Amino acid sequence: MVLYVTAKTQDGKVFYKNEKIYMPVPQQMGRGDKMGRGPYEKSGILRDTSLPPLKVTKEQFLIPVYKESTKDGKVVRDIIANDFTVDVEISYQPYGKKDDPDNTQKWFAVTKKLSIEKGGK
Amino acid sequence: MRLLKSTLVLLGCIVVPCMISGVQAAEEKKAKTIAELVAMYDSSSCVDCHTEAHEQWQKSLHARSIFGPEDVGRTAATFKTTIENGLKEWPHSGVKKPEDVGVKHLMICAKCHLPQLQEAEDSVAKEIVENIYAFVDDGDEEAAEVLQSLNIGCTVCHNRNAIVHKWKDGYPEKNAVYGNTDGEHEDEAHPVMKKSMIMKESILCGQCHGLGPNFDMENPTQCATLYGAHLYTYIPEGGQATCQECHMEKSGLGHNMQSYRAPEMVKMALDVEVEADAYQWRDGSTMTPLANVIVEIKNKAGHPIPDG
Repeated sequence: MVLYVTAKTQDGKVFYKNEKIYMPVPQQMGRGDKMGRGPYEKSGILRDTSLPPLKVTKEQFLIPVYKESTKDGKVVRDIIANDFTVDVEISYQPYGKKDDPDNTQKWFAVTKKLSIEKGGK
Repeated sequence: MRLLKSTLVLLGCIVVPCMISGVQAAEEKKAKTIAELVAMYDSSSCVDCHTEAHEQWQKSLHARSIFGPEDVGRTAATFKTTIENGLKEWPHSGVKKPEDVGVKHLMICAKCHLPQLQEAEDSVAKEIVENIYAFVDDGDEEAAEVLQSLNIGCTVCHNRNAIVHKWKDGYPEKNAVYGNTDGEHEDEAHPVMKKSMIMKESILCGQCHGLGPNFDMENPTQCATLYGAHLYTYIPEGGQATCQECHMEKSGLGHNMQSYRAPEMVKMALDVEVEADAYQWRDGSTMTPLANVIVEIKNKAGHPIPDG
């Protein structure tokens, strides 16, 4: 299960991408530090980030909407867009890439429109 | 005393051969071909009366448990990977080539994907392996059909696996179909209907959707951890639903038991809330435009998501 957060300008240019993976990480033969993939080689769990039942998992993403540069020795943060969107998607993705339709099953998707006021100081 | 000894010897002469022939008979009952194994678990007589349940089941992965999703056959491919990357590479497995694979080797997958394989001879394992390679390597459609004739059909859950505690509840009777009531059953092969104590309990499913590594095997595998996760993460949170309540009843899917790819299950699984806002943070004269996104995901299922 993967949570994708993507911020885009109004013309579709992506300026932020992040993802969180929720899954048990199986251990090869119940020993060592390597993840196992096939059932025949799994006999333990190295780490488990799956979503626990009857509990709320909360994630926070702080998205920088600026490009940073230095001007006359000062840090300047120029805004990328005053109006932009943030896509939040949750997909069941047992293996492979997000855009593989045979593999990925989209469970949830929402797009939030956000604005930052122009002007002021 | 002599009479007693003579009687015992005589009894021994009669009983021991009977026992041996009984064992032989039991062994003779083992399937020698895929067709024989399919016949042993033939559910075709169930269809006329239980049409709806059968149609539901046909859409489920239980109907193609060693083949996998229709047209894709991913499970069959994983069987091949298990042979190539597992059995053939392990120095003590006794498998150097696919033809060496026997029932005990396939059982590391078949314990759940085809538990009735336990009642078959090695010749069946070899036939299965031949068909797996024919399908995976050459796309052989006949092989795909043969593989799909082996499945978790009616009599696996409603007979073979309907009793877990056999010392307490007895062994499944071959002529009985196990459900929720006792009575007569209009079927020549299964004229008796018996109540299974676990037909509505999670433990029925837990036999395959298991606890983690299968330590009962010489070389344990870990395909399913679901029942363990249900017991140790969902129940402690106060969860009370059984597998059947969510996957058969509330979902409305009946015997078409589904999981991650079914919209009905997805709808029941998560509540997702998203809040987002944008603002400018200021440090001295430097303005910093930011967006803050908070995602809250509540897992309403009876197990972690995802799980095996």
